[in-house]
Amino acid sequence: MSATAWGWLVLAFPLAGTVVISLGWRALPGRMAGWLGSGAILAAFVCAVGATVKLQKLAPHARHASSTLFDYAHSAGINIGMSIYVDPLSLFMALVVSGVSFLIHVYSVSYMTSDRGYSRYFAYLNYFVFSMLLLVLAGNIIILIVGWAGVGMASYILISFWYRRTTATAAGMKAFVMNVIGDVALVLAAFLLWRHAGHHVSFNGIFAGSKQAFGTNNGTLIAACLLLTVGAFAKSAQVPLHTWLPDAMEGPTPVSALIHAATMVTAGVYLIARFHPLYELAPTAADITAGFAAFTLFYAATCALAITDLKRIIAYSTISQIGYMMLGVSTGGYDGGLFHLMTHAFFKALLFMGAGSVIGAMAGIQDIDRMGGFRKSMRFTYVTFVVGALALASFPPMSGWFSKDEILGFDVHRGGYYLVLAIIGFAAALITAFYSFRMVFRVFHGAAVPEAQSLERGELAHGEHLNPMTGEHEDTDVGFPGAEHHIAEREWPMKFAMSILAVLAIIGGIVGIPGVTHWLRNFLDPVFADSKFINTQPTDTSSWIGLVVGAGIALAGITIAYVCYIRQPGTTGRIAARVPALQRLFVNRWYWDELYDALFVRPSATLGNFGRYVVERAFVQGTLVGGATRIVGVGTAIARGLENGYIRAYAVLMLLGFGGLGLYFLLQAAF
Amino acid sequence: MTTLLIAAAKAPVIDYKGISPLFAVAGGAVIVLMAALIRGRFAQRVLVPFLTVGALGAAIGLSIWNWHTGDSRPIVEGALAIDPLALGLSLLFYITGLATVAFAWRSRALRESGTGEFFGLMLGSIAGMTILGSAENLITLFVGIELLSIPLYVMCASDVRRETSLESGLKYLVIGSVGSATLLYGLALIYGATGHTGFAEINNAIGNSVNLTDPLLLTGIALAAAGLAFKASVAPFHAWTPDVYEGAPTPVTAFMAVATKTAAFAVILRFFLEALVSAQEQWAPALAALAVITIIVGNVGAIAQNSLKRMLAWSGVAQAGYMLAGVVVGTQLGLQATAFYLAMYLFMNLAAFGVVIARERVSEHGDGLKSLEGLGSASPLLAWPMTIAMLSLAGFPATAGFIGKFYLISAAVDGNWAWLGVMIVVGSMLSLVYYLRVIAVMWMTPLKIELPGRPRRARREVQPVAGWSPEADPRAQPEVLLVTLIMAAATIFFGIVPSPLFHLAHDVGTSISALFS
Amino acid sequence: MNVTWYLVLSAFIFAMGAAGVLTRRNPLVVLLCLELMLNAGNLALIAFSRMWGNADGQIFALVVMVVAACEVVVGLGIIVGIFRRRIPEDVDALSELRG
Repeated sequence: MSATAWGWLVLAFPLAGTVVISLGWRALPGRMAGWLGSGAILAAFVCAVGATVKLQKLAPHARHASSTLFDYAHSAGINIGMSIYVDPLSLFMALVVSGVSFLIHVYSVSYMTSDRGYSRYFAYLNYFVFSMLLLVLAGNIIILIVGWAGVGMASYILISFWYRRTTATAAGMKAFVMNVIGDVALVLAAFLLWRHAGHHVSFNGIFAGSKQAFGTNNGTLIAACLLLTVGAFAKSAQVPLHTWLPDAMEGPTPVSALIHAATMVTAGVYLIARFHPLYELAPTAADITAGFAAFTLFYAATCALAITDLKRIIAYSTISQIGYMMLGVSTGGYDGGLFHLMTHAFFKALLFMGAGSVIGAMAGIQDIDRMGGFRKSMRFTYVTFVVGALALASFPPMSGWFSKDEILGFDVHRGGYYLVLAIIGFAAALITAFYSFRMVFRVFHGAAVPEAQSLERGELAHGEHLNPMTGEHEDTDVGFPGAEHHIAEREWPMKFAMSILAVLAIIGGIVGIPGVTHWLRNFLDPVFADSKFINTQPTDTSSWIGLVVGAGIALAGITIAYVCYIRQPGTTGRIAARVPALQRLFVNRWYWDELYDALFVRPSATLGNFGRYVVERAFVQGTLVGGATRIVGVGTAIARGLENGYIRAYAVLMLLGFGGLGLYFLLQAAF
Repeated sequence: MTTLLIAAAKAPVIDYKGISPLFAVAGGAVIVLMAALIRGRFAQRVLVPFLTVGALGAAIGLSIWNWHTGDSRPIVEGALAIDPLALGLSLLFYITGLATVAFAWRSRALRESGTGEFFGLMLGSIAGMTILGSAENLITLFVGIELLSIPLYVMCASDVRRETSLESGLKYLVIGSVGSATLLYGLALIYGATGHTGFAEINNAIGNSVNLTDPLLLTGIALAAAGLAFKASVAPFHAWTPDVYEGAPTPVTAFMAVATKTAAFAVILRFFLEALVSAQEQWAPALAALAVITIIVGNVGAIAQNSLKRMLAWSGVAQAGYMLAGVVVGTQLGLQATAFYLAMYLFMNLAAFGVVIARERVSEHGDGLKSLEGLGSASPLLAWPMTIAMLSLAGFPATAGFIGKFYLISAAVDGNWAWLGVMIVVGSMLSLVYYLRVIAVMWMTPLKIELPGRPRRARREVQPVAGWSPEADPRAQPEVLLVTLIMAAATIFFGIVPSPLFHLAHDVGTSISALFS
Repeated sequence: MNVTWYLVLSAFIFAMGAAGVLTRRNPLVVLLCLELMLNAGNLALIAFSRMWGNADGQIFALVVMVVAACEVVVGLGIIVGIFRRRIPEDVDALSELRG
């Protein structure tokens, strides 16, 4: 079987899973839907491995293949095939996506057990994986947009999965609107490239056409690249289009792990890596992207410092970490960016799973102010969470240590502007290490809260069913979270998924140890062979210096956290009291939502009210619509009046009609 | 003996392979009539419909066997020719015929008029359509039109004990004959002006031996256009449409709405683009005006109709206007777009009529809009096809109707008739008023007619209403449901994957190679 | 040969038939008037056939006669059906379908 045949199978299994689960949900007993969904994703992963093996047998320069199933639209001037493109980059993404997705599916099998929407959940989840794989395997930009929109919709329906919870539906809408901004930008970018780069839709066609049509830093190309950046930023929640991601935590925790940490939000990184030839041709656009990415990674890290909602801390950390990846791929450090994408998928999914387990033990409460002392009662969760936190803090020899510092090392090596960006990155790394262990110390250390105490006695807390955001009472019927909570200690599927991810978070760095292994770089090289940065790699020595510096920063951050929360608890409170303004700035996430509110929401609301009460009522409703309606109404009356049922009247109408036609033709003859 | 030999030598060359689809349906009509003489339930209920389906199936197979691209190939010298346009549209007639067999199988019209007669007439009418589609000559054109129409007059009146059925039959007959007489007179004048009856010869004569401003020719074109516009129910020759559609038995209405309209457009395409293409500058503005009038009148008339059949009739008038725009353009793209739209039109209309048929047999409201109330919860298997059909007729994206309209508009814009494209859009906007109303009635009114529940689940309480019968469950008429579902599925499928039909339409476009591509 | 007079006559017959369809209320008479309209076409065809000296028009006219006969048969059949239902023999009475 060829690599593309494997590729089609990768897509086929999740699609089949979606169809089977959504049509057969009545017939599926118990956890069957969950296992079916997991099986489909496992099959997709196996097929992705098959494709990789097949592709690796080829010579490096020949490691790409495309295949078209049918003509999606074949029309004047444009020919879009339903095609996939298989190369190391798309397979790398497919492997990460399907692999992590499989583990999260398995985790969900237990986590969602008591939910009334169990089968619906897995149908959605399989649909998401299908869309995501379509996105990464797409053979041309149109199919990529189809997958892009597909994951946007999957994100929307999964954020709003508990559709009777008002905050969840509002968050879903927010995410959708923000994503549509990105979709529009992406479509415009595709159109610009199609229009100016020789009417191509396939990636290689676009690249070749652009090289011919544009010089370096051509204005149109910069515009197209910036539009791509907007698309990528909306999907990957980068400043200034980031505000939807923290709210997206309204979805079930495994969804946060899958979509809003490990896979979908990294689609923007993939997009920029995929379109790297364009960014290299338009360095200005790449530099702007990198600047925003650097700001994002610092900004989001500071927000994560002050927030007390466990899931939202991890969400801000995700924004920050994607900032690192964006920084990597937009400055030319593609291997580093994608390396970090992979390791981040492991440890961030792990952190979310741990958080889910803790939230289960807290009976739905997410506020870390009310948590503490779970170290003894939740041994397994504690250990895996610490592994995740260490990897996030890039503590040696965790996977995050190698990947994050590869990005920063690359930018240090490029120097100048990029050195400044790298220094921002190192500063944020200190904050990252601090807030990672802020979570660990505040959730697992300290005095045991009542929930932890009852768990030590072997009872799982059963709180009232409240909305963690608003405190409203909820029942456990369809459209709300299920009646029971689940923790990793008691559910082997959760334990299984978390153990594997923990192992991966520890040893994931093995694929790219400077001077020892360059497996990932060798694997991806055929894709980036045309890059002008292919030889701009830091030496192994300087890489190791960067790693040591990174390790030092991580150690410092963890130590500060230890001092603040274990040795001298209350330190942070005193600091916050000393500089209340900063505290307020961080807690309110630098007032981004308020800024949007003032800049966009309120003016449009005012305009909308003006339109609604003045323009709409008086002018549109009264004059335009009213007038048009009246005209149509009169027309209807005339048309129906002529239809009076008398044969003779119809004959008159006909004869009049052909009289008119005859007159027209004769007049033409006369003149 | 000698005379016979001479006659044989002079007889036209007949390509029996090419004419075989026509033989299949015409022969089928005779066989069906014969078979219907056999008494007994089996012969009437099973054998005759089976033979009808067999004849249509054979015709489909033979048409595909004859498929070729490029210019036309004569099958009866100077009278009939086959090309992708004729074959492609013939396929649409045969498919409609198959659907009509399913729709009519349990209908009262079939019991009243006799199975053999009904299906025999239908096959005869389809034979007329086949002739019409491949006519190369004014005489065969006229024969085709009459062979198509005369059986239809009878079929409309086939529910002989219902007054409205008779009324619709007579109305169709009288108005139709006026149309035929007008057409005939127009054809006579064209013959008079050019001296030929063959399309190719007429086209050669126009502009060479006949002046483009010859009043005889132009009057002839006007009269012929009026006669053909009548068959396609183009305004102002549409007046018969709503009445006849409403009065005729619904399976016949479905057949008329799709097959007759397709046949009318087949001949309009052929007549105007083959015989009269040299006079395009003369007729195009007139047809454009007719198209605009038709779009407006059809859409305006459909608003506020309470009978579904009547609403679909008016909507059919409006759709004819859209398709006429494709003819006006007079390019290959226009031809392709029109042929493509006709195929889409088949799917969405048959889906809608299937639902109307299924509902009118069980609902006290007959074909009234009210018969659909609460259908969304009562039988979603019917509500969904209707929803899809309505959205597609209105031209919603991801349905076949959208692609069809898009194709037409792009053809119009491409041929410098952009304002006609704008009119199509305006018409579609107006049409939302009545199409969405149907959807709203189905999904947004509470369930009134209670139905038996599904097996293994609790039965819903059954409250019989007047006219209710055990057939209320759509599964009691599986053949109607099946056709409806297939058509709705095709509407969605070709809305998402239109390229197979694009290729077919492209082949059809090659039939008339003289056109500006 | 000058066909003008034949044409004038055929146009006159056509107009007469059309006027009859428009004014007469008895369905039988309406059918007769339809025959007139068709035969006006026939007359024109035969006149043109003479003018051009080819037989196409005459063949056409023969075919039209067959068609006209079919139409009348069907028309009469429907009229008989109407008669049996005891509906007045008046085309205006058949106006239940409208709007």
